[in-house]
Amino acid sequence: MIRDFLANLDTLLIYAFAALALASAAAMLVLRTPMRVALALITCMVSLGGVYGLLGVHFVAAFQVLIYVGAVMVFMVYAIMLLDPRDEAATARYSSLLWPGVFGFALLAEALAAGYWNDLPGAPRGATGGSFDIASFSSAFLSEYWLHFELTSVLLLVAVVAAIAVIRENRRSDRG
Amino acid sequence: MGLLTLIVLLPLLGFLVNGLAGNRLGKRFVSVVGCGLPAIAFAVTVKCFLDLQAGGWAPLAETAYAWAVVGQSSFEIAFWFDRLTAVMALVVTGVGTLIHIYSIGYMHEDKSYARYFAYLNLFLFFMLLLVLGKSLLVLFVGWEGVGLASYLLIGFWFGDMEKAAAGKKAFVFNRIGDAGFLLGMFAIYSALGTFDMPAINAAFMGASTPAVSASLVGILLFIGATGKSAQIPLYVWLPDAMAGPTPVSALIHAATMVTAGVYLVARMSGIYLHAPEASTIIAAVGALTALMAATIAIAQDDIKKVLAYSTVSQLGFMFVALGVGAYGVAIFHVYTHAFFKACLFLGAGSVIHAMSGEQDIKKMGGLGRKIPITFVTFAVATAAISGIPPLAGFFSKDEILWYALASGRGGSVLLFAVMAFTALLTAFYMFRLFWLTFMGAPRMAKEVEHHVHESPASMTGVLVVLAVLSAVGGFLSIPHFLEPMLPLPETMAAMQPYHYWVMGGSIAIAATGLAGAIWFFAGDASRAGAIRAGFAGVYRVLSNKYYIDELYDRLFGRPLVWISDAVFLRLGDRMIIDGTLNGLASVAQRAAGRLSRVQTGSLHKYAFLVLVGMVASFVWMWTHG
Amino acid sequence: MDKVQVLQFVAAALFALGLTGVVIRRNVLVMLMCMELMLNGVNLSLVTFAHAMGSAVGAVLVFLIFVVATAEIAVAIPIVLLLVRRKRTLDVGSFSDLKG
Repeated sequence: MIRDFLANLDTLLIYAFAALALASAAAMLVLRTPMRVALALITCMVSLGGVYGLLGVHFVAAFQVLIYVGAVMVFMVYAIMLLDPRDEAATARYSSLLWPGVFGFALLAEALAAGYWNDLPGAPRGATGGSFDIASFSSAFLSEYWLHFELTSVLLLVAVVAAIAVIRENRRSDRG
Repeated sequence: MGLLTLIVLLPLLGFLVNGLAGNRLGKRFVSVVGCGLPAIAFAVTVKCFLDLQAGGWAPLAETAYAWAVVGQSSFEIAFWFDRLTAVMALVVTGVGTLIHIYSIGYMHEDKSYARYFAYLNLFLFFMLLLVLGKSLLVLFVGWEGVGLASYLLIGFWFGDMEKAAAGKKAFVFNRIGDAGFLLGMFAIYSALGTFDMPAINAAFMGASTPAVSASLVGILLFIGATGKSAQIPLYVWLPDAMAGPTPVSALIHAATMVTAGVYLVARMSGIYLHAPEASTIIAAVGALTALMAATIAIAQDDIKKVLAYSTVSQLGFMFVALGVGAYGVAIFHVYTHAFFKACLFLGAGSVIHAMSGEQDIKKMGGLGRKIPITFVTFAVATAAISGIPPLAGFFSKDEILWYALASGRGGSVLLFAVMAFTALLTAFYMFRLFWLTFMGAPRMAKEVEHHVHESPASMTGVLVVLAVLSAVGGFLSIPHFLEPMLPLPETMAAMQPYHYWVMGGSIAIAATGLAGAIWFFAGDASRAGAIRAGFAGVYRVLSNKYYIDELYDRLFGRPLVWISDAVFLRLGDRMIIDGTLNGLASVAQRAAGRLSRVQTGSLHKYAFLVLVGMVASFVWMWTHG
Repeated sequence: MDKVQVLQFVAAALFALGLTGVVIRRNVLVMLMCMELMLNGVNLSLVTFAHAMGSAVGAVLVFLIFVVATAEIAVAIPIVLLLVRRKRTLDVGSFSDLKG
């Protein structure tokens, strides 16, 4: 039995991480303070990183943790700490559309599940589906998907300019 | 370019040059161009006449331009020169040129000198299109064009609302006649498939009768002629047209445009020879118009109005001649009438010029000694119109009276009696006019009397030429010249013995009219005053022109204005059209207002709508595969 | 049921949870984080398929989504900062200036 367990360890671990991701995502909707919500999101992201690693795409897992958790969520935490006033609005959790939202969630989940159930994706091709190494990934990026690569650099430049412009507007209105 | 096209285009060139550049180039240039080009056109017409004669009187034809080709039929602008055209074209260009020269003196002080000559040349262009045209279509273009030129020239001094209204009235009544003309044209085209006038005449004269009734076409074309040639019921514009400058009255409303209707009927003689009902109607209308206009003329006091009604009456004479089949005689009267009526109108212009603008003959008198050339020429023309031999009017009027009595195509004693009485009235009112204007003691104000002066040479020279033509023009026997193409009707055998009685009678009529005028109006005109007081009611009806204008206004004018105002303006334009547009706009506005309520500004609601939409699209996608 | 299929359901669930979170939660920063959750759900789906089909396209797309998410956050948070500073509240319900 332990042999079976050890043989399917990676699958079990995948299921475990996936369950953790789901749980923390559900917790996000229920937790009160934004800080706790952020922590729940970090948990979700890290467990997703684990799933990616167990699926064999190690560099995507690394990027997930590095970029998403390490940059995006850190920034988000900074923003929460900057902005979180201890007032009434911060504690009010739900908007006026709570029950319609829940009902909509039920519908959406049911629609997606039904759609997937009727049209299940097939078994993976190739033995374990193949894992990629970063060398083939980067060469693909620079040969077949070079246009996307260039566009992302433009996008990042635009984001930098936009962020600076927004802050400058802020400073100008502060001064005036 | 052929000679005929050249004749037509020369006045057009004058119109363009004077119209576009006349103001900048000064009066002398305008005069030279404005009178020179018609003179050249006259010379070319004479050349064409000589060519016609040299060619054994075979008609000259020229196609200038293929206007439109629609399917199988092609409409061309083509010109035609036969005997009838020769007479008309020579009169139009000859008398036209003389009147242009007269205008140099008459319009000298006017500030719109160039515009006047431009319009006058434009009129000449259209009139030549009319007489030289080979197809009814070209004739109709000329027909409409002379109506336009008439409108422009009657309302020449358009700053005065009355004069502008007179121009509008002329145009509207012409247009009403043109409706009949167009219907006639359509009938001809649908039956014969061509507008070519020689072909139409041949079709009607030929062995097989065409599909359309000749009388119907004849009557429809005659309706157009009543508009253009001022017969009952569309004559009312001609007296009002005296609001225009006097040379315009002479050229358009005496010598040329108003004779277009007579020309049309004569040209389409092939139809009228086979349309006895139409011819009877023409004769009846002509006689009635002649009589009615003559009765009105004896009670008018404005020198130009008398001449206007006289024109209407003389046109009635011409239509009587046409109605009894004597087409050549009618054209003869056109020809002589052009001379003496133009001379009379231009003489009246000279009188008005001398009287510093006064037109009321009650305020004239004794002008004979002061303006001798005008006096003599006016006397010659008056004698001509009254039918005193051997002047031109005697010959043409005598022929008309003879055929009214004796023509085998509708002559009758009744017709003759009416026309003879009208001739008597003609002599009477013309000599009345002459006596009150030129003879007796002066009745004018002292300042006016001081300024009475003879007109300049450009004006009196023309008067002399026209007077000479009025005197000797009758010796050219036009009816016999036209007989090869417009045969004279056979005279009834029963009437043959009376031929010389009729001639003697017409001389007697003229003399009686002259004597009557002298008896009533010489000296202090006390006998005329007594008659007027005695028959005050009759006098009032006559001087108010039988109240026809008021009748037309009440019957047609006011209802039309009411319809325009109540139905078209208030109901149609404001309520329906504006209401629809405004209604659409307000519907759009209110709909937009309702729809903008979707924008609540609440982000949650927007996100919820995204969710709902996503669910819907997934469901749809997965159920419709 | 294969792990790939399970992961697909998980990805769909994550996405649905994220969208619901945007509708339900009142705090603007929490709404932003729920949007990140949506992106993560999509990423999981992409990676799963990349693994299942053996093609690198999925991985490339995931990388692009990382970049886009980063750029988005980099601009969104300053905007939210300015907005909150002006309105003096984090409550999205009171941001209704664009009404009508």
